[in-house]
Amino acid sequence: MSTSPITPTPAPATVGRRGFISAVAGGFTLSFVVPEFSRIAEAEGATLGQVNAWLNVATDGTITLTIGSSEMGQGSFSGLAQILAEDLMVDYARIKTVQGVPSVAPVAPVGNSINTVGSSVTRTNFWKMRDAAAIARETLVQAAMNSKGDQTRSNYTVAAGIVTHATTNTQLSYGSLAAAAALLTPPTVAALVPDSQFRLIGKTMPRQDIPAKVDGSAKYGLDVRVPGMVYAVIKHCPTFGGTMKTLPATPSGMLTVVPTKVWAGTGRGTEVADAVNAVAVVGPNTWDTWQAARRMSVSWNIPAAATNWNDAAFVATGKDLALAAPAYVAGGANAPGTLYTVEGDAASTNTALAGAAKIIDATYTLPYVAHACMEVLNCTVSYVAGTSCEIWAPTQGGKAVLQLAMAITGLTADKIIVHTMYLGGGLGRKWESDFVSQAIQVAMAVGKPVKLMWPREEDFTRDQYRPMAVIRGRAGLDNAGNFVGFSYRNVSPSLLGQRGSVLGPKGDSQGIEGANDLPYNFGPHVVEWVSHPSPIPVGFWRSVGASLNTFGVESLIDELAFAAGQDPYMFRRAKLTLPRWIAVLDAAADLAGWSTLPPAGHARGIAIGTAFNSIVAQVVEISNVTATGLKVNKVSIALDCYLSVNPGQVEAQLQGGIVHGLNAALWGQQTFVKGAAQAKNFNRSRMIRQGEMPQVSVKIMPNPTAADRSLSIGGVGELGVPTFAPALANAYYKLTGQRKRSLPLFPGATMSEL
Amino acid sequence: MTLQLNVNGINQTVTVSDGNMPLLWVLRDLLGLTGTKYGCGIEVCGACTVMVDGQPERSCDMDVTSAVGKKIVTIEGLSANQSHPAQKAWIANQVPQCGFCQSGVLMSVACAMKAGHRGSQIMSEVQNLCVCGTYQRMKEAVKAL
Ligand code: FES
Ligand code: FES
Repeated sequence: MSTSPITPTPAPATVGRRGFISAVAGGFTLSFVVPEFSRIAEAEGATLGQVNAWLNVATDGTITLTIGSSEMGQGSFSGLAQILAEDLMVDYARIKTVQGVPSVAPVAPVGNSINTVGSSVTRTNFWKMRDAAAIARETLVQAAMNSKGDQTRSNYTVAAGIVTHATTNTQLSYGSLAAAAALLTPPTVAALVPDSQFRLIGKTMPRQDIPAKVDGSAKYGLDVRVPGMVYAVIKHCPTFGGTMKTLPATPSGMLTVVPTKVWAGTGRGTEVADAVNAVAVVGPNTWDTWQAARRMSVSWNIPAAATNWNDAAFVATGKDLALAAPAYVAGGANAPGTLYTVEGDAASTNTALAGAAKIIDATYTLPYVAHACMEVLNCTVSYVAGTSCEIWAPTQGGKAVLQLAMAITGLTADKIIVHTMYLGGGLGRKWESDFVSQAIQVAMAVGKPVKLMWPREEDFTRDQYRPMAVIRGRAGLDNAGNFVGFSYRNVSPSLLGQRGSVLGPKGDSQGIEGANDLPYNFGPHVVEWVSHPSPIPVGFWRSVGASLNTFGVESLIDELAFAAGQDPYMFRRAKLTLPRWIAVLDAAADLAGWSTLPPAGHARGIAIGTAFNSIVAQVVEISNVTATGLKVNKVSIALDCYLSVNPGQVEAQLQGGIVHGLNAALWGQQTFVKGAAQAKNFNRSRMIRQGEMPQVSVKIMPNPTAADRSLSIGGVGELGVPTFAPALANAYYKLTGQRKRSLPLFPGATMSEL
Repeated sequence: MTLQLNVNGINQTVTVSDGNMPLLWVLRDLLGLTGTKYGCGIEVCGACTVMVDGQPERSCDMDVTSAVGKKIVTIEGLSANQSHPAQKAWIANQVPQCGFCQSGVLMSVACAMKAGHRGSQIMSEVQNLCVCGTYQRMKEAVKAL
């Protein structure tokens, strides 16, 4: 049995202290810290963390896990309940999960929320959750031992939330032990359930949030209704970088028009702190207010530079920088346009490439892509001047929302309540809090509870997009088809840079992920990243840098395979150096029936990659290529995430990720004319509908027989995305002989009315 | 103006200043029936689908005045206790992810069933947009219907 290395902190509780804290309210409560995940903090080596999870065993036997992460369809709450139930030794159905509410929980430090990004919820909480459950279970057993006056642990067994004393054959329920347990100091370590005895981990279990999602009762951010609430509809300057010239008069029937400024820390790219880049019309209901906002004209100051903010210019700049860019200088200004060496060495790579028998020198381009969550951005705020601020938001960053509210209102954390609502998709966009800052500003201005909504057109045109990228790859082979060198350069706007980070010598980890640390035997190689100066706001988009780089790398590898006259699967297989990668590649190829010919008129493409500590490979089979489209028939995906908690949920996430990757690869693109985004709604941003869904087959590599806590559990939620685009483009080449180096494959596609 | 609507079998009186207010916003803002969702507002996504006299209607583009005198069913009125066969199938097959599109999807499915479609035929009638990509499970789920 493995034991927990955590040191619990005995009562009395100290607010904000790390570690376990026992509290007595309503039975037995264990408060603890689960690792928080922030892409920015991770990149900068920062740690975040106060008590952010509470496990309560009530005297009536109810078991509740209160935790601050967000549920946006990834099923993570249910996954946590499953993990907890395993080591607590109770039925899964007994665990209720509750969304944490900062400031009202029994122990309320700043930030009872953890951040939900990076496919992180299940994987980062797995061991902490197990430890907490085991410690809680042993505290309850200790209460039983005290009541029986027999301190020999081996005389007790636990099952289904009941402690049985074998000698007297007495059964004590957790509920009956909770009050006594609350007075005990929890043990510092507790044995976990051995993997071989898992009842729940690794088993497909139903998600707890699903019933409320089939009858309309699930409350999303947009569904919040507060007594006395008014409605606000945002209207941004259509051009990025534009600011309000004069405040328009209040349209008839409306309450007011509130100018909203870019709150410090929430603006990206062109969005400069304190600039008024939007106004909110406030009125009696969504429709009337929205119509008033539509009709109202606002005059804006447009920056002169915006004339140059066009796709063609962005790509041209990217291509220039892909050829030549000044290198990073320690302590220097390193303005956008700087070259960072992430790994390897350019000089030795170039020398090696000079001796190659065959060279592929290819430039790949990827567009900006909007998030387009099914639920538009929105936030509801009830503010009482100097007294309280209550916020309801579909947010992936509850803690950031709390901190932002403190900054805007000047209130202390105990006066602010953040309710994290269900998210109608997050996809990385709802990690940002620009929309929250606007809602708070409007609520403060109108003195009434207000629900602020971004109409779909605002959601599309004021997104923080997946970064565009120009990627240049140069790789060489000898006559036998072995690598002699590999040079990879990604030019893209910086996610971290737009969030105020000062980039170090290796540039933006988020921009280059998926291209570094690859287990191919490249020989001399270099991986470089160049900061593109485009000021269009960029953001974390499902699978982030991996969605750019897996396309670049795996397209280039495929070109090499064909240049070598080899099967693209076998070519990769021969060059991968890690057995886990080879196993995943084999699994995807097997699933797709790679060894058999596809039906006439069909072709398959393959790609492999990594994101969030998982390894993933896909085979995409296509047919019916025309100038305007193609048919995706089958997708076979294999995933090694080291350990999967709920395989049915992993499968669902991979299916969804594939659709996300497919929509982006075939059609996804936001275009810009003079700094204004052009696609304003789904009619100009095609996505698949039911009839176009390919048959997706999923293979999840088996869980380890005894999980090692020193090994990383990989992410799942974003893993369907990165390998889709290259596998598709590779299939396209196989079928047509044309190499698609630019995404999307079918730009400008439209979607018609139902 | 004041209008009478029949929603989920109940007669409701609503007052609107604009007779062009789409049924969607009447349901959501005036009647508090937030199960019906806004996705696009231009009849493309289907998140706002409700049943009007047995037919699927995109409520984001249906003037409230044209719903007067008709029987409107929203997701809240589809069944008591998630007992409609489609709801049961959706739970059994664990279809929803974020769930935001699913009210509209389920209303479209219910309309297709009402029109006599069964099994996989249903899905050819249901082309709602699901950004989460739950299409494969939808396809599985309707097999039993
Ligand atoms: S909101 Fe009505 S079809 Fe999209
Ligand atoms: S379940 Fe999220 S959009 Fe369909």
